[in-house]
Amino acid sequence: MEKKTGLIFFPAFDWAISPTHPEREERLLYTRDQIFEEGVMDLPQIREYAPRLASLHDIARVHFCVPRVQSQVTEAHLIAAGSALQLGDAVVSGDIKNGFAMVRPPGHHAMRTVHGNRGFCNINNEAVLVDYLRRRHGLKRIAIIDSDVHHGDGTQDIFYHDPDVLFISFHQDGRTIFPGTGFSHELGGPQAYGTTLNVPMPPGIGDETLEYIVDNLIVPVIKDFKPDFIINSAGQDNHYSDPLGSMRFTARGYADFTRKLNPDMAVLEGGYAIETALPYLNLAIILALARLDYSYVLEPDYWPGRFTENAERASKVHRTVDYLRDVWEKRNSADIDNIFGKGDFYQRKKFIYYDTDYIEEEQIEKVKKCSNCIGYLLIESRGERGYRAPVRILAVTVPFAACEACQQEAYDAYHQAKKKEQYDYVYMQDKSLDTCLNYERDKNHEWSTEG
Amino acid sequence: MLFIGIDVGGTFTDAVLLDRGCVRASAKVQTKEDLLSSLLEALDKAMKGVSGDLVERVVLSTTMITNLIVEKKYDPVGLLLIPGPGLSHQHYQFNTGTYIIPGAMDYRGREIIPLRREQMENAIMDLADDGYKNVAVVGKFSSRNNRHEKEVAARLRWNYPDCQVEMGHQVAGQLNFPRRVVSTMLTCATREKYEYFVDSVITALSQRGIDAPVFILKADGGTLPLPCSTRVPIETIFSGPAASTLGVQALTPPGETSVVVDIGGTTTDLALILSGSPLLASKGAAIDDYLTHVRALAVKSVPVGGDSIVERVGKEIIIYSERLGPPYCQGGPMPTPTDALRVLGLTRLGDKDRAREAMDSLGAPLGMSPGEAANKVCNLVIDTISAEIQLMFTQWEQEPAYRVWEVLEKRKERPSTVVGVGGGAAGFISQIAATLGAYPVIPPYAPVANAIGAAVALPTLEVTLRVDTEQGYYSIEEEGFQEALDDANFTEQQALDLASKWLGKRADKYGLNQRIEDVEIIRREVFNMVRNWVTTGKIYDIHVQTPRGILGHIGAGGEIK
Repeated sequence: MEKKTGLIFFPAFDWAISPTHPEREERLLYTRDQIFEEGVMDLPQIREYAPRLASLHDIARVHFCVPRVQSQVTEAHLIAAGSALQLGDAVVSGDIKNGFAMVRPPGHHAMRTVHGNRGFCNINNEAVLVDYLRRRHGLKRIAIIDSDVHHGDGTQDIFYHDPDVLFISFHQDGRTIFPGTGFSHELGGPQAYGTTLNVPMPPGIGDETLEYIVDNLIVPVIKDFKPDFIINSAGQDNHYSDPLGSMRFTARGYADFTRKLNPDMAVLEGGYAIETALPYLNLAIILALARLDYSYVLEPDYWPGRFTENAERASKVHRTVDYLRDVWEKRNSADIDNIFGKGDFYQRKKFIYYDTDYIEEEQIEKVKKCSNCIGYLLIESRGERGYRAPVRILAVTVPFAACEACQQEAYDAYHQAKKKEQYDYVYMQDKSLDTCLNYERDKNHEWSTEG
Repeated sequence: MLFIGIDVGGTFTDAVLLDRGCVRASAKVQTKEDLLSSLLEALDKAMKGVSGDLVERVVLSTTMITNLIVEKKYDPVGLLLIPGPGLSHQHYQFNTGTYIIPGAMDYRGREIIPLRREQMENAIMDLADDGYKNVAVVGKFSSRNNRHEKEVAARLRWNYPDCQVEMGHQVAGQLNFPRRVVSTMLTCATREKYEYFVDSVITALSQRGIDAPVFILKADGGTLPLPCSTRVPIETIFSGPAASTLGVQALTPPGETSVVVDIGGTTTDLALILSGSPLLASKGAAIDDYLTHVRALAVKSVPVGGDSIVERVGKEIIIYSERLGPPYCQGGPMPTPTDALRVLGLTRLGDKDRAREAMDSLGAPLGMSPGEAANKVCNLVIDTISAEIQLMFTQWEQEPAYRVWEVLEKRKERPSTVVGVGGGAAGFISQIAATLGAYPVIPPYAPVANAIGAAVALPTLEVTLRVDTEQGYYSIEEEGFQEALDDANFTEQQALDLASKWLGKRADKYGLNQRIEDVEIIRREVFNMVRNWVTTGKIYDIHVQTPRGILGHIGAGGEIK
């Protein structure tokens, strides 16, 4: 018998950011009604799993939570991330052919450094999954395709310098929607040029153009990249009825995309048309993953031919796709020094706004342009909440297959920073040894976790 | 103060007479084709010398409906379905005439596709042409809005007044359309025969001077007054395992975590009692490959028993799930686990020499003595059952959870006792218990634990209330009841009161004049509905029940009230 599709449905009916926030108890209520009424969990092609909690170390492996992991996560976050890990285990072990973590809260806006909640996210569920799969199951290359209407800036941030993680996001043009990033020139750092690809779409784009992006960019690039594992960051707010987005995708369009992408796992992200879209979208995506007929799934107010593409806007997207395809094909012959400048380090300065928690972060991120490994990262960050003194941190990341020199330099940087007055917290995230350190100046104490 | 419990099982019918927490009499007779006569035979034996008017209460548990369904001895039922969009209609295969009518409601009970009258007429005509007299009318989300179902049923009754019609929202209000279809179909299929059975039981009891209230045991271990049970015949399926489980609950000290192992001739039934209460299954029972909405205890049937045949295949000894007659030591054709027990001196059934002969035939080609072969066979049975018990616990731990507190509350529990009931129990229980690191228990009256379970079972009533203040209506899942509610400021407390009121109403309806003082709240959820940043309404989801329990514990010194 063919393997089943694994589902974890975790609607967190007892968790909300605030009573009237879009991330509230009600969000997956009607989705629950629809998939339970359809009897989806009884289908022989489906296997339902129980959620589990991710460990604090699973989080620390990915994020620098300020001041520490416990202060940024609630149990709901650990369950959402843990559910992704649970299904990831089941896919890798071959118990199921693919999985869908329909979980709240979402995560794709959570960056490597976490001072608070932004874009309804604290913890990046997909990134936690990626590093878990690499650490625990020894996977090497992973592709993340983000289908949320908002740019997956958190995921992009975390893997911007990692050539083993391909990140492709299509989303509404950042000039018209949160978080205001995700333009086609954001292509990855000097050590990972071309493994970040962004397709900004003008408002009003529909299924037809989505199909063009899938056929001409996503599918061929993935074929080239040869990932060990494909993750769909399954935001559902490109739907025509979404209150936050302005796109015109349908349930059918999302299902076609899922069928063609054929991901190993999908993880629910945004989507706030909780009545008019989510029940139908989630059902269609489940059926597509299980390779069942989804042609009977129809939104009540949709009829074929309801939307026609605006030719001018569509052709704009076509041009972006063609440009990115070109970048992808020529990525290995690109003149990196010309693009990123010469020197031992590449450095960029970032201003990050946490819309949910009203925090402003200033960050300097440096990556070692090492020719023996992908290089270690140094992050200096200052988070400011209006009413209290800013928090300053220094954080160091050692990648999975770090060379000896990078490891040495990274630890030197960590220990030196511990001696400097200006940092309240100093972090070390050593993926090669799966060890995380967290130093707090006021208490002159260092905590460590190991996998 | 006499209580009677009767369990009509597949092989035996057992009856007990309880007198203030003591078993005063018990009886065991072979179950015959005619279930009613077996039931009365056991009753008469247990009641010998006792006057009927002393009896306080009678509880029955019977395989009547289970048999009807498994043996497909019911009239065919035609299905008029209103599934609307969603899953492909190809999924709706129920091995009977199925007629799809276009129309749809959504999850909030809003009509999204009106009923297509002409196609409805055609479907009804086709169904009648195909000769169906029993019809189930079921719509997707009919428990949120039953209008389409009612309209189709009314039209059907108008055209064909002789049809027996069941509507989905009245049979199963829970979410899950395919299970609602099955539950409605099976209710429709069995109701007439069940009504006849109930009438016969009531007549027979009154002829014996018993006019005490009569109850029937349900799969979830609760009871219903027999006359009212005709509304929900399928709730009586699988009451046998529920009876054994309650029996063990009554025969062991309160609060224990135990596994109930009922080893019969061809199957072993397993059930879990967690901290003193029997575990309910998270999903409805499955019968004859159909998934239903029937609430049931979490029981598992393992196809191994005392009469299962054992064979040598190459260098392996294998147990099969079939039975080819009695064990070899009792004149049967093939070696069985019972023969192994006989050789090891763990049972006195049958002829010892024949048992040795059976084990020798298995063991000799492998160079094993009869004793060694017997050991091997016993270990196979023990390992199979122990593994299934472990699996049951793991499955319970891995049941889905939809709330943060549920995930955090997940616990790991292992049995402190393994309780054996049923014929084959004695030989295997101590070793199964040893494998699981628990104490073996074979309680007194183990052979009639099922009838004791029936005797101590209590009525249970539940109410699931869903209020949608924005749509302005509420519904009671168990009653298929839907009514307008015109109060935008309806509070959570009002919702709880409304649920309790309905619990009382249901108690009256079922003639359970128990006072509904103790209302257990199983779930109370409030969903704020926010549209464009303004709260536009609330959805309350409230589930209450009367406390679950049993009359009392046997031989515990306490008195059964």
